Amino acid sequence: MIRRSANLVLFCIAAALCYGMQVSKPHYADLTGPIPVYGRIGETVDARGFSLKVEKVAFARKLKTSAFGAQKVLTTGGVWAIVTAEIAAGSTSTTIWGGIWKGPTGLRYDTTERLLSVPGAPPYFIEPGLPKKVRFVFEFPTDQANGATLLVSNARFFALDSEARITLGGVTSGGSNSPTTMETFDLDQPI
Amino acid sequence: MAVVDTSDDGVGDGRSGVERKWRRRALWALVVLVPLTLLETSYESVLTLLRDKDFVARDVPWGSATHFGGSDWQLTDLRAALGMKGLAPDAIPVLADFTVTVGDPDLQKLWLGCKVFLVDAQGRRWTPTSSVSLRAPGDVTTCGSATFSGAKKGDKLKIRETFLVPKDATATIRAAVGVGSERPYYLRFERPKS
Repeated sequence: MIRRSANLVLFCIAAALCYGMQVSKPHYADLTGPIPVYGRIGETVDARGFSLKVEKVAFARKLKTSAFGAQKVLTTGGVWAIVTAEIAAGSTSTTIWGGIWKGPTGLRYDTTERLLSVPGAPPYFIEPGLPKKVRFVFEFPTDQANGATLLVSNARFFALDSEARITLGGVTSGGSNSPTTMETFDLDQPI
Repeated sequence: MAVVDTSDDGVGDGRSGVERKWRRRALWALVVLVPLTLLETSYESVLTLLRDKDFVARDVPWGSATHFGGSDWQLTDLRAALGMKGLAPDAIPVLADFTVTVGDPDLQKLWLGCKVFLVDAQGRRWTPTSSVSLRAPGDVTTCGSATFSGAKKGDKLKIRETFLVPKDATATIRAAVGVGSERPYYLRFERPKS
């Protein structure tokens, strides 16, 4: 009787263990995806191949820039976010292809391609011992500004490599859902 | 319907003795088989990893040529290009010049993934940069271009790569070369004597 009870208890434990393992098993995409390294504005985040320190985030309705001797103003139906950061290579030269602005609802916005011809736009080639100040520029609807996360990796199509995830936090004020936004951001001004 | 007696009588003792012996053998076999299985399943991955990385350095004395990837490689110069504008204050462009005498002309096979790089005393590595462009004589090429140049046996190729390194690294940097057919080995050249 005792032996049967012990077997039953063992069976229940095994079943509970199997169920626990099944429900807690990470999704395949998580197992083979990027390895997150978390940080905040002002902190230096050390990923495997590079380090990143986000210094500030600004929002603007227009971007002013010059390329090939001509000045142009870029407008948007949403908002421009300009993230100023310092990036540095680890022990080997590497490339930062851009960043991703992950909004509060999980929507992901790549660095804008409207600035491809502008000097200072990604990709950023970084060398060991030579940190570089850069700007990541994004364009998205205003409701994606608050509570966002910046994702930066040094691999374009990667798996099982580290990805810096910087919590950008709250950027709104006065109970509005829009960030504090300047009229025009001049990209020609030195970083 | 067959009935199996599983009680521990005398016959059972004899059978369980044999069983115990085989159970022991099976457990010892696991000690051998598990590592062998791991080795077999990871063998290709380990080989791929080794073929993809420059792990083991072969040091080459200054001024001498070494047979590598079917050809003879000689570092002819490693120097800083000073006075360039528009660079970070700490950044120094460095040029590495090689003369390569082609032995086996199947460069597309032997030099696949050809990589010239700089290493310093701290183990940092710099790959060629596109941030700096310096004029070079017409017969000077890069390692990647040379691979597809159709060079013949006996041709002498002049290869130059440009790097951007911090000032503090210039005292110890050394030029290095890796090619697909020789990995995980790579050549690490002694610095110029002068």
